[in-house]
Amino acid sequence: MKAGRHREATLYTALDGAGAGGGHSLGELRELALKAFEAAELPVWRRSGFWTTSLQELDLDALVTEAETREVPPIVTSTIPERPRAGRIVQSAGAVVSVELDPALAEKGVILCSLEEAFERHKELAERWYSKRLQIDRNKLEAANAAFWTGGAFLYVPEGLAVEDPFEIVYAIEGPGIAQYGRTLVIGAPMSNFKVHEYDLAEDFGAESDVPAAERQALHAGAFELYLQDGARCRLAQVQDWGSRNEVYDVSTRFVQVGRDAYCHWLPALLGGHLVRPHMELAVSEPGGDMAFRGIFFAEEDEHLDAFAVDLHETGPSGGDVHWRGAATGKARASFEGLIKIDPGAQQTHTYLQIHTMMLSPKARIDAIPSVLVSSDDVSASHGGTVGELDESSIFYMQSRGLDRAEAVRIIVEGFFEPLISELADEPLQELVRAKIESRLAAAREDIETYAVSR
Amino acid sequence: MADLEIRDLHVRIEEREILRGVDLDISRGEIHALMGPNGSGKSTMANTLLGHPSYEITEGTITFKGEDITEAEPHDRAKAGLFLAFQYPVSIPGVSVANFLRMAINAKREDPIQVKEFRTQLQHAIELLDVDRAFTSRHLNDGFSGGEKKRAEILQMAMLQPDIAILDETDSGLDIDALRTVAEGVQRLHDEQGLGALIITHYQRILHYVKPEFVHILMDGRIVLEGGVELVERLEREGYDQIRQEVGAGVGAGDEDV
Repeated sequence: MKAGRHREATLYTALDGAGAGGGHSLGELRELALKAFEAAELPVWRRSGFWTTSLQELDLDALVTEAETREVPPIVTSTIPERPRAGRIVQSAGAVVSVELDPALAEKGVILCSLEEAFERHKELAERWYSKRLQIDRNKLEAANAAFWTGGAFLYVPEGLAVEDPFEIVYAIEGPGIAQYGRTLVIGAPMSNFKVHEYDLAEDFGAESDVPAAERQALHAGAFELYLQDGARCRLAQVQDWGSRNEVYDVSTRFVQVGRDAYCHWLPALLGGHLVRPHMELAVSEPGGDMAFRGIFFAEEDEHLDAFAVDLHETGPSGGDVHWRGAATGKARASFEGLIKIDPGAQQTHTYLQIHTMMLSPKARIDAIPSVLVSSDDVSASHGGTVGELDESSIFYMQSRGLDRAEAVRIIVEGFFEPLISELADEPLQELVRAKIESRLAAAREDIETYAVSR
Repeated sequence: MADLEIRDLHVRIEEREILRGVDLDISRGEIHALMGPNGSGKSTMANTLLGHPSYEITEGTITFKGEDITEAEPHDRAKAGLFLAFQYPVSIPGVSVANFLRMAINAKREDPIQVKEFRTQLQHAIELLDVDRAFTSRHLNDGFSGGEKKRAEILQMAMLQPDIAILDETDSGLDIDALRTVAEGVQRLHDEQGLGALIITHYQRILHYVKPEFVHILMDGRIVLEGGVELVERLEREGYDQIRQEVGAGVGAGDEDV
């Protein structure tokens, strides 16, 4: 394959090279980030003519980083399935409010604690990896995270250790008025094998009340980094649901680095938020690394999702496989930019990106923008995808078997997501994602029926 | 009174009248064949009986078990005991045959079917249709061959146990072995469960394996000739053209299968 160019329609670029961390202490990084924060305006991202993601309606000055209580918000226990787990860390607003770790794992050298604590008690480890690949000044909210983060999650899985049950990392927002600067650092030592489930959840702020929209705002500006050393394997899943009736803004960056012969299966399920702008990058940085980058999104009502996913190959031979599926109801707008980037010298890289979308309402809109940026010649990289609508003949077929229209729609949409949901390979998590999709379909039932009849 | 009564049925699709006054009575335990050349309105008949939204009934009524279902929703007709085996079954990715069957069975019941009862029924149907057990864990019609799709249709019919099934050109595209399996399946459901069937077909060959008691010949949107199984033999000898001349049915047949 010949070297290719980024398409002009793309808005975002991959993170390049080293992060901000190298050689700086945490204090220095905070200072640098503070300067960038003060110099920057709230971001507006505009793609020529037809797409704008603006944070300018966010009243950042009105938000605080401390919650009223230091307790685990009820949404955490009501959402996350009861199941065996290796450990769990919960952050509400700016503070870690709960840490549990299987004592047997602690004994074997697993570390699960707040990132603040990691900088105190495991300084060398934390400093070595912190912000190794993440930047701190590309926009005001990234800078805010790097300057102001508190709490944070730190997970270290030692060499050769395989852990069956998942580690859960939870960011919860208990009410409006909160700015949460979440910061996660996960390190998989050589030959470790583990699972991480991240949950991003908010209580229902109560949209029925008379509180004006501006006072129902909250912010999650997150930064997440996961480093997999030689031969390490990790299944990383994320369930994000900030509640469609809340005005939660989420501008986050996630970077996963796959080392030599390491493997990562990453599946974010982005299921709701007023304005969500994730930058997700999965990088194979050493020979033999392999990855599967999956993702689900579902935008409803007047939600705005602007996702950017990068399949980055910094060296070869390496493998990649990106497969995303998304749907939208109501007046939701979603954009998904998927980029395959193959750096010079990443020979013998083979990767594929596919994005499938389904619009379930006349006013919903999804833009899928795949692009390929290749700087090596002995590679294969391609992309594909489909844009779907509800198929009347499928609905009639199922109705002829006695299923009503709403159920037929549910089956079609679940069937659409099922190839990815089944890849979660975790029954409680699969049930949760299915239930969340089902409830969104139920909420949009009228909308979906009107749409189908009108066509 | 017949279980399914069709009276003076006129149906239009996109401003074109396809059925122009059809009368037909079908009861449980009866096997009917509806035969006709391409474009005579056979598939329109099948889709209309299950309430496909694209087909507009301009005159006439459909009554099922004493209820007027002319305007009923497709799923209500199905729940009442009608079934359509599709000429071109659609694929439902992400849903296994077994799961789909369970959902369809439960849609007709108050309480969900017990796992054990479901398994027993499924096993019985699998043997009847001579399909592999693994077949039921595949996604419905997704990547199925033509023959597998038709078997899946009859498998669903066996599981849902309708009173009256309409089989829309189930014989088309089947090799002789698949045809025999499918046809014998229908015959057994008739013999064992008292299924009533309307077998819609262009050809005679499926009727060598399922014996209809009533044969209706549809041309240009009307039933022009009715009789017993001897009509099939006559059709075999003489072909549609001769019958057309004899009954003087309207202008020439269309090319499309509507």
